[in-house]
Amino acid sequence: MRSVFIPVQWGRDVEIGQYFLPGSLKEALEFLAEQEGKAKVIAGGTDIIPGLRKKDKKGRVETLVDITRIPKLNFIREEQNRIVLGCLVTHAMASNSELLMGKAAILADGARSVGSPQIRNIATVAGNLVSGQPAGDTSIPLVALDAVVTIASSEGYREVPLTEFFVDIGQTAVDPRKEILTQISFRPLGPGCGGSLLRLGKRKAMALPMLVCAITVKVNRNRDRILEATIALGPVGPTPFRARSIEDFLKNAVINSSTIAEAAEGVAALCSPRDSLLRGSCEYRQEMAKVFVRRGISQALEQVRATIS
Amino acid sequence: MKMFCLSFKLNGKSVQLSVQPAKLLVDLLREDLRLTGTKIGCREGECGACTVLVDGQPVNSCLIPAVKVHGREVLTIEGLEREDGVLDIIQESFISEGAIQCGFCTGGMILNAKALLDRRQEPDESEIRHALSGVLCRCTGYRKIIQAVKTASRIRKEGRGNKG
Amino acid sequence: MQVLTKEKVKLASLNKLQVGPYSLVGQSLKRTDARLKVTGKLKYGADYVLKGYLHGKILRSPYPHALIKNISTGKAKQVAGVAAVLVAEDLPGRNSFGAIVADQPVICSSRVRFVGDGVALVAAETEELANRAISLIDVDYEPLPAVFDPREAIKPGAPFIHEKGNLIEHCKLRKGDVEKGFSEADVIIERTYTTPYVEHVYMEPDIIMAVPLANGGMLIEGPMQAPFYVRDNVAAVLGVPINLIRVKSVQMGGGFGGKDDSPIDLGCRAAVLAAHTGRPVYISLEREEVTLQTSKRHPSIMELKIGAMADGRLVSFQGTLYNEEGAYSALGPAGGVNRHSMIMAAGPYDIPNCKVDAYLCHTNHPTGGAMRGFGAPQVCFAHESLIDELALDLGISPFDIRMRNAFKIGSKTATGQILDQSVGLIDTLKACGEAFEWDRRYGEGGALDNKGTRRRGVGIGVGYYRTSTGSKRDGCGANVYVLADGSALLYSGITEMGQGSFTVLPQICAEELGISVDDIRLVQPDTDLVPEAGPTVASRSTTLMGNAIILACRPIRESIMTMAAEMLCVPVERLKAENGVIYELDNPMNSVPFREVTAKCFAEGKRLIGQGWWTPPSPSFDAETGQGNPYFVYSYSTQMAEVAVDMETGEVEVTDYVAAFDIGKAINPNAVEGQIEGGIAMGLGYALMEEVAFKDGYIQNLSLQDLLIPSILDVPNVRALIVETRNRYGPFGAKGVGEMPNIPTAPAILNAITNACGGRIRSLPADPEKVYWAIRKARESTSTIR
Repeated sequence: MRSVFIPVQWGRDVEIGQYFLPGSLKEALEFLAEQEGKAKVIAGGTDIIPGLRKKDKKGRVETLVDITRIPKLNFIREEQNRIVLGCLVTHAMASNSELLMGKAAILADGARSVGSPQIRNIATVAGNLVSGQPAGDTSIPLVALDAVVTIASSEGYREVPLTEFFVDIGQTAVDPRKEILTQISFRPLGPGCGGSLLRLGKRKAMALPMLVCAITVKVNRNRDRILEATIALGPVGPTPFRARSIEDFLKNAVINSSTIAEAAEGVAALCSPRDSLLRGSCEYRQEMAKVFVRRGISQALEQVRATIS
Repeated sequence: MKMFCLSFKLNGKSVQLSVQPAKLLVDLLREDLRLTGTKIGCREGECGACTVLVDGQPVNSCLIPAVKVHGREVLTIEGLEREDGVLDIIQESFISEGAIQCGFCTGGMILNAKALLDRRQEPDESEIRHALSGVLCRCTGYRKIIQAVKTASRIRKEGRGNKG
Repeated sequence: MQVLTKEKVKLASLNKLQVGPYSLVGQSLKRTDARLKVTGKLKYGADYVLKGYLHGKILRSPYPHALIKNISTGKAKQVAGVAAVLVAEDLPGRNSFGAIVADQPVICSSRVRFVGDGVALVAAETEELANRAISLIDVDYEPLPAVFDPREAIKPGAPFIHEKGNLIEHCKLRKGDVEKGFSEADVIIERTYTTPYVEHVYMEPDIIMAVPLANGGMLIEGPMQAPFYVRDNVAAVLGVPINLIRVKSVQMGGGFGGKDDSPIDLGCRAAVLAAHTGRPVYISLEREEVTLQTSKRHPSIMELKIGAMADGRLVSFQGTLYNEEGAYSALGPAGGVNRHSMIMAAGPYDIPNCKVDAYLCHTNHPTGGAMRGFGAPQVCFAHESLIDELALDLGISPFDIRMRNAFKIGSKTATGQILDQSVGLIDTLKACGEAFEWDRRYGEGGALDNKGTRRRGVGIGVGYYRTSTGSKRDGCGANVYVLADGSALLYSGITEMGQGSFTVLPQICAEELGISVDDIRLVQPDTDLVPEAGPTVASRSTTLMGNAIILACRPIRESIMTMAAEMLCVPVERLKAENGVIYELDNPMNSVPFREVTAKCFAEGKRLIGQGWWTPPSPSFDAETGQGNPYFVYSYSTQMAEVAVDMETGEVEVTDYVAAFDIGKAINPNAVEGQIEGGIAMGLGYALMEEVAFKDGYIQNLSLQDLLIPSILDVPNVRALIVETRNRYGPFGAKGVGEMPNIPTAPAILNAITNACGGRIRSLPADPEKVYWAIRKARESTSTIR
């Protein structure tokens, strides 16, 4: 019987044909169009480069288009009641941003959990989105924040809300051979709003999450009802998960422990992550989803109390 | 395959050379430039042994195409020692505290510590731990490494005080 | 009064000259290689410029168990720049290697036994060409049923992995009468504990270089702990006499036992490629390849039964150990991990009746080799957990039950060995208990911390560990040459992997000669230059090589002190050599520099060279009963952990840790602390996060992304306490320390988890999910959380 397994060989060398450093977005997009799918966008590179070491056909890339030299793409600013991040904002920048720590702490916190300090210095928040993983430390908070991304190609720009962004594991609305995600925007968490981010890992640094849960709440003036909430979780499926029906349940809900517990049970019932040898069994992760949603809602509410003076 | 004309500053000196696009920074340093102080432990950014400073920021050189440092300043562990052989305070502290066993993670630890102490004068233990959280050590249990950074921080502070 | 045998006289006199205080021994001298390491100048294996070397690669089996029906290398050989494609028929000598038992094929000829087994070897001008050649080799496999559980593997009907079957060895230990003991016991408990494969995860991946020599021999260079094992294996594999092989050990970026045998594997393979092509060849492994094919810690299934009296006195211990060897023997049988784990299984306790059966079983997994502790961490986890469970049933505190039964002078071990010297276990218990404030904290066990979601708990682990391999051939040789100007050369085959041998051994030599460590150059371990030293394993280096160095210095001291006596007109007994000066004890002004004395010795043809050979007192061991004196001395440790357990998620944080060690004498206290702090971190990883995860024989976590070891945020500041009870056979009273630290760590932490949350975990690692289910189970049962 012939061998049907192709043993993966690891090498030290990566295969890249050409490396292009465009000076402007226009230059980058035109070049991508010219290359007709044979070039790929790279920003920080922390996902792409290790992937190129594996010696299978997918490993080879003709040309990399490095967008990190394009000016004016690493901004974090507030405009027209939205916070906007340029696509070259690194996780280090995001975790140190006073604006984010004040008005979108869950994103700053998420950015702080990614990889290691070295990784955070070069990996971009946009890149984390484009990698299309179901449990990105910044993508889950961005999903909870109802973020919208702007995608540019040589044909123009389009806006895609994150609810429509994730297609499958490793696949998003962005085609890195033609398109560049240029910015991310979302409404800040203002007065009356709070957020929480919880993470479960097997060790305290450089650990892929077993579960990440981001929650935002908005409460009424009396602070006895949740006006609206968002709950985002991963990895509980191939893409980040929004617990829509539970969010509906929480609209105008009275704040008490049984509401919170019911919400938590509800979310757990909606999740069916597969059994994973490395990330935990389905049953455990469902239980943890319950714990995280319960703790997360309470912590988000506490954050509201902290911001309302 | 198109070669790239790379020009950058390495340990204070200008370097120009022609590189293949596929050349990673760690391999450029170790093979082309014969600076083997930067180590390779995993080639996927998980161990931190390949840390170098680019414009003062620690990065994993195993993940960076060499082209990315065009126009930038790179510091490797070899660049810490002064021309006359006098060691950096952090290096001395690692020696005096016994913070080195097999030495493979030492470069990564020292450079991450330098980046920390350059931006933060007296970090507390939690800040030190977080700053070094991207370098794995299998030998020391980390305790003497943390102690060495504390010692270096104290000596640097006292040194600064003396100048004033 | 004890009658001294000739051997004992020789050993006792070794220490006659050693009267403290010492000038260097006991000092935390800076490491001799520290400066090279902090400046990035020390060359590790991968730092050498290898111009003209061929790049070697291994084609590995994609099946856990299969027959090789056909292998065709024609297409691969045709690639320009490919210098060799070798299959089993191309091998010149013995087609097998191994540290103790050589049963792993250099190249598999008819059958593969684990995913990663070597099927062909390639050497090419570049890595890319080597990979291309590898991909062009066509292999026809016929998959065979595989077995992955050691207990299943030795049942009738299990598929045979080797012709002789899957039970490699059954070691027996019989002391007293366990059934009688159990019949007298007031309480008996039975439990099963399991431990997984774990990886060394040394930060430096393996690399080996092989250079053919003009005389038909071979030079092998690279990071390795056992240059002599490599030499002997390469000689057999090439079919040449041992004296044609030269092996040089390069300083390692960590070893932990893994580089005891992986260099044998890679060295033999690089050697055959080099011999075939006539060109130098290097094989360097990517991290994933290190995980895939190198040896690991043996997994173990341990079925234990213990009986005790109501007052806590242990009367009977029974253990059945299923040690999983994996596909090849490596370091399991013939005095290896299997026998050692059996010897250690009952723990450092005086138990009159013991029965242990240790079964070493093949499976279609990678091999179990040497890893820090060599079988002891597995059984210590088991017996320390068992003792705690027993204490709970008896209503006795974990500390008291250990105090009551712990080894002391005069105790008889499970092998019937009477411990007549250097037993500091109870000292470590007391020292640790006091420093850790055990009584107070144990009383508070289970308390909720101020976060409201976590409970704190404390736990103890005690252990003991041998110094030396216990093999009859265990010996160390050293050469010392003092030169005319007073500088010295030290030839020792003990290797440096970060533990500090390159500092401690010159420290001992310098103490003996009365000079400074800086005056000694330790020559890189090179089998052409250094005497037989054995491997750098089993915590034997300081003790055995230290003694050999002391013996080597003897004739040199004699020459020098005699000459100095002449020069100073003082009898030899009234002289002392220290810090490069020889002076009269009662009149220090009457002195002469060391180098003047050596110059005169040299000029007058006095002997300034010495060779020392030291072997431990002969071990004894009965194969049927396991009774005898397997090792000549033991080190001891008590460790105490405090943990905080998140009761809802199962996450565990080790918040405090104190550990006390009896290691005879700390030659270099800073280096000893380093071993302790690092070993405990390794034990913490074993307890909470380390595991090589398999599915149907395939490793799921080959890379460091999922093969976890503790990061800086996971390890608390460990407080280390050193207790010194002199070992009469050790240099300056020392005994081994390298492995002792990571042995009682896992049970200390797991016992603390139980104290915190009531849940008991009996398989490592205690990752959050396991702890979570244990908490649930504890809640649902009638046992209360203290």
